[in-house]
Amino acid sequence: MKKQMIVAGLRARPVRTAVSVMAVALEVTLIVVIIGMVTGILTEKAARQMGMGAELTVQPSNSSMLMELSGNTMSVKLADQMRQIPGVKAVVPIQLQINTDGAVETVFGMDPDSWNAVTGGFTWHSGRMFAAPDEIVVDNVWAGSKRAKVGDTVSLLNHNFKVVGIVEQGKGARVYMSMEGASAFTGQTDHVGIFYVKLNNPESVKTVKKAIEQRLPDTRVTDVNDLVTLLTSVGNIPGLNAFINGVTFVPLSIGVLVIFLSMYTTITERTREIGILRSLGASKGFIVGLIFQEAAFISLLGVIFGIGTSFLLQRILTTIFPTLIVDITMAWIAKASVFAIISGIIGSFYPSLKAASQDPVEALAYE
Amino acid sequence: MKTLLETIGLRKTYKVGKIDVEALRGVSLRVREGELTAVMGPSGCGKSSLMHILGAMTKPTAGKVLIEGSDIGTMNDAELTSVRRERVGFVFQKFNLLPTLTARQNIDVARYIHGATKAHDAYLAEILQLLMIEDKMGRKPSELSGGEQQRVAIARALSCKPAILLADEPTGSLDTRNSEIVLNMFRELNRKFRQTIILVTHNPELVTYTDRLVEMRDGLVVSDNDPWATESELERQPARSV
Repeated sequence: MKKQMIVAGLRARPVRTAVSVMAVALEVTLIVVIIGMVTGILTEKAARQMGMGAELTVQPSNSSMLMELSGNTMSVKLADQMRQIPGVKAVVPIQLQINTDGAVETVFGMDPDSWNAVTGGFTWHSGRMFAAPDEIVVDNVWAGSKRAKVGDTVSLLNHNFKVVGIVEQGKGARVYMSMEGASAFTGQTDHVGIFYVKLNNPESVKTVKKAIEQRLPDTRVTDVNDLVTLLTSVGNIPGLNAFINGVTFVPLSIGVLVIFLSMYTTITERTREIGILRSLGASKGFIVGLIFQEAAFISLLGVIFGIGTSFLLQRILTTIFPTLIVDITMAWIAKASVFAIISGIIGSFYPSLKAASQDPVEALAYE
Repeated sequence: MKTLLETIGLRKTYKVGKIDVEALRGVSLRVREGELTAVMGPSGCGKSSLMHILGAMTKPTAGKVLIEGSDIGTMNDAELTSVRRERVGFVFQKFNLLPTLTARQNIDVARYIHGATKAHDAYLAEILQLLMIEDKMGRKPSELSGGEQQRVAIARALSCKPAILLADEPTGSLDTRNSEIVLNMFRELNRKFRQTIILVTHNPELVTYTDRLVEMRDGLVVSDNDPWATESELERQPARSV
């Protein structure tokens, strides 16, 4: 019977119901999509690190884990020193550039021979390797997002480059150019931002890591597996937890306030109905339960719409921005759903108590 | 006849701003099982306040109200709620049906709150037949005439077999024809089911349908033609209204 009363009440006020449901859906969508974008970027970055085929990375000692933010401060000659360490099979020095034209993306400046020695080379969709400083190779996702074909001239880092090859995504960056090409932007022909180190035997990673650390004490040597774990475990990244707490708190607050307003308005509108129920012998608990259940039902509808909207938004975003990864996970869908239901319960707490405490005589006289 | 409801020296004072308004100034009344009683008086005489107290909607400021021996004045909110649920049925001037529900659902809400069992089903079917609203059950209040709405409200009030039916100006929102229908039904319900009914009204025509008339003025009972009153009770009239 309560279900019939709740459904009838919601159907009788379609605009209020729709707005409340949409607000909860917005709460769920904001949480799921924003967290999905954060984890998507990190997961995709981790996958591209794994795709390099290297076991170790070597960066400047004070560098950021987000390599785009690191400067090109290491001498390229360090690569030769590393190659002499037992167990090291190949080393590729990478000069890092950040392109902020449209989206923030890393551009790799590298030497094709050492690149091939570490990564095993590109999987080619079309074209060839760059042979001049103004030529670039791009991955298929980047090419798709820019609608670029081999032979096209594209603007990058405020310069025009000719796309000479399109390769399968998944190796470090999305855009690759020669060391000479990258050096043109830094003015440093012999300094790089990161080395990828390929080992003869992946089992010897700890030994080789220690050897590099001893040989090059001013560097930070990272096991790629550790880096991947770091990138895929949000809690390990400094500041990111605070960001995620903020991202979840704001929509949660919106949800609480909207449900509060919605239920508060409802009980004011329905004062007389509450009086009728009280005159029929409905207990305070019955009234509280009725308001709670209505709020929970609105929240549940909002959760369902929110999950649907999240996937729709994911599709829209990745269609408009093909390089953007929105990683919607079941864990965060579950968390967002629980948050939405909790916000419904919190938001309806005071209105339900107010409704239950109304004097039956006064409530019946309410016009 | 068994006494169902009794008030002794009932007083009710409301605060309107900083002023105390005495709605009831010492009402003593005894209602027996199966009575059809009219409480009549002009607006503001205290009859609605009396009804709210008799229906356990509010507590008296002083005096006693005994429903089947239990004093409402000493009850907490949960106990008052229980009295409303178990022993009292209300019919209001403005029908007070839940507008989003059908007639059937309005009755079912009361049954749900009461925890009605199947034993009540046959009784309800009889009530619906007597009230001639069996075919209106799928309609919402907005799709019913005033008379039909009031009959649904009566069915709702009686659906769980309350000891007392309290009706506050039950014909106040009805035209003459519908008023007659509703009043005849009250009498029929009283005769057929021995339902105790107290009608509160300011309409003198209504009293022709009742067995007993209690008249009120300024918060006091000024006359009571109680046909079952004992000699000692008769002697006390109108002294019962202090």
